Amino acid sequence: MRAARTAYPLTWRIMDALEGVAAAIWPARFRRATPYLMLLPAVLLVGLLVLGLIQIADASLRTLDTTTFQFSDDYSIANFRRALTEPLFLVVAQRSLVAALIVTAVTLVFAFPYAYLMVRTRSPGLRKFLLIALFLPFFIGQVVRAYGWLIILGNQGMVNEALGLVGVAPMRLIYNYPAVLFGLVQYMLPFAVLMLAPALTAIPEELEAAAGSLGANWVRTFIHVVLPLARPGFVGAGVVVLTLSLTDFAVPAILGGGSQDFIANAIYDQFFRTSDQGLGAMLALMLVALGSILVGLVFALFGAGTLAMGRSRT
Amino acid sequence: MQERFRATASHEAEGDGEIAVTVRNVGMDFDGVQAVKNASFDLPKGRFLTILGPSGSGKTTLLRMIAGFQTPSSGEIFINGEAVSAVPPHKRSIGMVFQRLALFPHMTAAENVAFPLKMRRRDARTIPDRVERYLALVRLGGYGGRRIHELSGGQQQRVAIARALVFEPDLLLLDEPLAALDRKLREEMQLEFRRIQRELGVTTINVTHDQREALVVSDDIVVMDQGEIQQKARPIHTYRQPRNAFVANFIGVTNFIAGTVRAVSEMGDVSIVRGDLMLAGKVGDPVNPPAEGDKASGVIRAEQIRLAGDAAQLSKLDCMLAGTVTDTIFEGERMVYEVACAAIGDEVIRVFDHDPAAHTQFDIGESVFLGWNARDMLVFR
Repeated sequence: MRAARTAYPLTWRIMDALEGVAAAIWPARFRRATPYLMLLPAVLLVGLLVLGLIQIADASLRTLDTTTFQFSDDYSIANFRRALTEPLFLVVAQRSLVAALIVTAVTLVFAFPYAYLMVRTRSPGLRKFLLIALFLPFFIGQVVRAYGWLIILGNQGMVNEALGLVGVAPMRLIYNYPAVLFGLVQYMLPFAVLMLAPALTAIPEELEAAAGSLGANWVRTFIHVVLPLARPGFVGAGVVVLTLSLTDFAVPAILGGGSQDFIANAIYDQFFRTSDQGLGAMLALMLVALGSILVGLVFALFGAGTLAMGRSRT
Repeated sequence: MQERFRATASHEAEGDGEIAVTVRNVGMDFDGVQAVKNASFDLPKGRFLTILGPSGSGKTTLLRMIAGFQTPSSGEIFINGEAVSAVPPHKRSIGMVFQRLALFPHMTAAENVAFPLKMRRRDARTIPDRVERYLALVRLGGYGGRRIHELSGGQQQRVAIARALVFEPDLLLLDEPLAALDRKLREEMQLEFRRIQRELGVTTINVTHDQREALVVSDDIVVMDQGEIQQKARPIHTYRQPRNAFVANFIGVTNFIAGTVRAVSEMGDVSIVRGDLMLAGKVGDPVNPPAEGDKASGVIRAEQIRLAGDAAQLSKLDCMLAGTVTDTIFEGERMVYEVACAAIGDEVIRVFDHDPAAHTQFDIGESVFLGWNARDMLVFR
């Protein structure tokens, strides 16, 4: 018996010892609590976020006295009224919202063929290439990428130089709304592709072949089979792109050059430029509300998509 | 014997009406691997053809080429006399039942069946009636409103059949749709396929690796192996007159006895020797008969061998072998004996007893005698 025991490999005995220690610290009868224990870090992090939100809600109801630079002790909805009445904030809100909608639509249109090709291609080489091309921008980071666009699209940038060669006068390609939209689409594309790809993988290729044999050309196959079945992916990708675009900071700041502020930039200005934390907090809360309403609207209209974790209503 | 083969050949050709499908010298290369080699056959209208073969035999590739999902590397396929290699699937008049059915999960049973009619822009007013008629044909009347996932496996099969037939295609293709079903349901659906096919008279090509299914449902069987068509014949001829050793082995339970050809007669009689043993048989493939001195195999079905404890009981039979029972397998409707025969180097011969209750039972280790008639043993090179 003893000889047989020592014959076990060292790693097995180490594992046995570790399991023994684990059993002493966390006996088997505690096992039911294990999942909750593992959930604890996430719960703590979300809890902190909620605490922060309460703090912000508190701040949002206090007005800044511009003479003393002190916050009022009593609550008022003055910040709320300012946020809704000052034209600047309405312009910023409208600009963000329209941009988020346009960027979402354009990104989904561009992301679909990319994801489709990546999922359906028979060439492992092409699939790898598409995946790497997709992840490469993630390694660069948003700020550096936006700055890169400044270099490429600037007055002395590559694009204007190339245009100059064919006799076109330099054009102002940055610091305007289209430049921000362009930068956002380019930034969002990988997210959308990554959200769409699993939904497309879940559609059996045989279904498309079947639609073909039943008389549908590729357009009708796309409309009647692929699109309805890919809907969860579109909803998931759409929600992610919509919320990320709506709340984006770096792209409008860098490619907009201060002239194309989004809500996040306005909030930043309130916190760090005018130091009106009350108004900044109010704007932040309103952004949260706007985003929540949009996401709620999408879920109500189209279902939760891939974000329903497979528990779809259909 | 030669005469009998000729008679068979003309029998295969008789009753051929108009040809629905012609496969002519069709080949398919996948990166240098020949999945299908020089396949040719004709299929008359209204007949039920099964392409039978093991996995990797090229049968599914051949079917996908007929459906239009793949383009042949060489050769041509004709449907109703028209070359179709350049015609995409959606322009061919082909209904197909897929291996995993490929029903649309976001549609009801009726919407699935209506899909090909809508895609073919049939008169919208006639669609509901026609859908209901075809659902009734597959005995699913009243189930139209069900979602696909609310239907059982057998019901899903029926929806897939209705969807493939509702637009009255020239040709119905079945890509092993029964493979995933349990045996009872599979056998039920085989008969269902045959009933519907006869009722509508639609030309059908079925692909399967299930020899029983091929025998049960088909008018004709094409046996494929390693990309090549081995034999095309009616089920009964495929079984009784296999054209080569592969077909003989793939269909039925078959014993092979290897030997050397001693003599071949013009009548198709052949004898092979193995050591001291000499066995008489018939030439299996008259087109490619063995010659004296060739290595050859004698092929005998398990059900054509009689088993007895006493050699005298088998005296009327042409061939006899002594052996020892090494295993007995009770399969319900029959008993399978495995008998090791000393004369052929203790190779095991399998024998069926189809009426075990009426016959003497043998136990493992018992000495027995095997006997059969020379006309039942086919000899192949």
